[in-house]
Amino acid sequence: MLRRFHLDEPETVKDASDLLSRYGESAKIYAGGTELLLAMKEGLIQSERLVNVKKIPGLDEIKRIGDSVHIGALATHRKLESSAELQQSLPAFVQMEANVANIRVREVGTVGGNLCFAEPHADPGILLLALGAGVVAQNASNMREIPMDNYFVDAFETCLKPDELLTEVRVPIPPPQSAVRYLKFGYLQRPSVGVALRLSLGDGGLIRDVRVAVGCAGPKPCRVEEAEELLKGKGLQEASELIGEAGQIAGRAAEAIGDLHGSAEYKEHIIQVLLKRAFHQMVQEEFSSKGEGGPHA
Amino acid sequence: MPNGLVRRAEQTIPVTFTVNGKQHEMDVEPHELLLDVVRNRLGLTGAKRSCDMQVCGTCTLLLDGRPVSSCTLPAFEARGRDILTIEGLAQQGKLHPLQQAFIDKGGFQCGFCTPGMLLTAKTMLAENPKPTKEEVIQYMEGNLCRCTGYKKIVESILAAAEKMRQQR
Amino acid sequence: MQFEKQIAVAAPREKVWEFIWDVDRFIACVPGCKEAKTLEDGKIYTATMVEKVGPFRVEFPMRIEIEQSEPLSHIKARASGSDSKIGSLMKIELEVNLKEEGSGTLLSFVATVDILGKLATLGHSMVKRKADQVMAEFVEKLKKSLETDT
Repeated sequence: MLRRFHLDEPETVKDASDLLSRYGESAKIYAGGTELLLAMKEGLIQSERLVNVKKIPGLDEIKRIGDSVHIGALATHRKLESSAELQQSLPAFVQMEANVANIRVREVGTVGGNLCFAEPHADPGILLLALGAGVVAQNASNMREIPMDNYFVDAFETCLKPDELLTEVRVPIPPPQSAVRYLKFGYLQRPSVGVALRLSLGDGGLIRDVRVAVGCAGPKPCRVEEAEELLKGKGLQEASELIGEAGQIAGRAAEAIGDLHGSAEYKEHIIQVLLKRAFHQMVQEEFSSKGEGGPHA
Repeated sequence: MPNGLVRRAEQTIPVTFTVNGKQHEMDVEPHELLLDVVRNRLGLTGAKRSCDMQVCGTCTLLLDGRPVSSCTLPAFEARGRDILTIEGLAQQGKLHPLQQAFIDKGGFQCGFCTPGMLLTAKTMLAENPKPTKEEVIQYMEGNLCRCTGYKKIVESILAAAEKMRQQR
Repeated sequence: MQFEKQIAVAAPREKVWEFIWDVDRFIACVPGCKEAKTLEDGKIYTATMVEKVGPFRVEFPMRIEIEQSEPLSHIKARASGSDSKIGSLMKIELEVNLKEEGSGTLLSFVATVDILGKLATLGHSMVKRKADQVMAEFVEKLKKSLETDT
């Protein structure tokens, strides 16, 4: 059961932010509620006021702007998985969204809510890191863009200020000759391990750009620059010989914790497996000798 | 103010919604969950509380045709919307092909998960009238069953899908 | 969950021993611990453990009982408390050992922490990480307090 709370329903970002400033910790932003209400039912979070932000218009749209896709924070996972625009420009993102939680959570849960709650066992943040995305945070007087690299601070902790709302996610579309994969693994209700890889080839088929991100295993999603450096500038053949080592580096970088999802060693191992798998899938599909390197990933 | 007794003003939200085609108007408190309103105030007990954390699917209701976990959805979110519960699946006493198929194929044992299964399957068949077995399994993976081992559930849904295609 | 920590403190054993029994100063080193009370000097104490992880907040009113105590060298204690809001119980078994090392003291802690109930299943990984953090912070604060106090 839920304990009684007061519901506010502001119709602008400013009003929502003002409520947060005014009531501080006793007010929480409520969007889909799939994480928040769950925690409140369990008694792990006590909140006297919920600020329903779903009456603020325009925060759930998906728009292509130049070389990026701008995704409203209130877009549900369901909306994202069924978006024609995203299927075209970011199919890996659609695939990730289509597998978030379960069908009922996807119907109601929002990508913004997911990012704000920053539950370690979550998918979107990992892929967004690999895509070099950013988020837009707004309060009553200010708007700022935060690169994903700086966004996650710790388990359940982001760099958002107490009076800020996350309003948008901005994802750059990978250039031609790119491939993106998000792979995850787990038997429990939440994913145990998540790995995202983005490769962009340049002249001579060498890896011009690479991003590796891991999550779920540790407290927060993180990029693995050390693994990226190992692969950067290499040809696909050489990279395929190095991908195992890259996977080991990624495993260690994840800060895996032993828990009900498995031991730290197990998770590190699975990270390596998933990174290798993602790489080989790309080599066989987008980067096969049949095509020139495939379309946008 | 009575000595020592302070009554906190309760916030209520007036909501109007339809359930199985019938309109309802009521005042709900913000913290009231849809599952409790449907079960306790409307007496529709087909939806169940089981895991209470959105993972099992026994509390599934269709909200504007889409499956939601009513155990974790505040009732005020139903305002202005259409709810379908298991009680509304049969039309004028005639069972829905899904219900008939579950009976014919043995798609339930204790029946606890069945309302959620049927409503979710209904949604699936609306999206994909000719699913493969794998597609059924994938779509239904968020609905858990402890009795049947799922085989008969999948068979029932496939049988219903075929029946529904024939009826078009 | 088992925790073992050893620190070398640049303070004589007598001073360390005295500090440990000074309830208020000792509790000040334990992150999240407040409202310490002595029910029976040297035997029974109470304190409240409040821990926050992101938006989560748990509050455990603890009852601490000293099982064994050997002056200047050894303490064995147990503590338990429950957070009714989340239906969870916390049990701690603690052993503290003091050993003279040169002009200072070698302090070692062995703690067995058990969390039972909802928090154990829902928050398993969180709890372990938090407990690690609390233990590390405690040991650091303790050392600092002992060494800067004159």
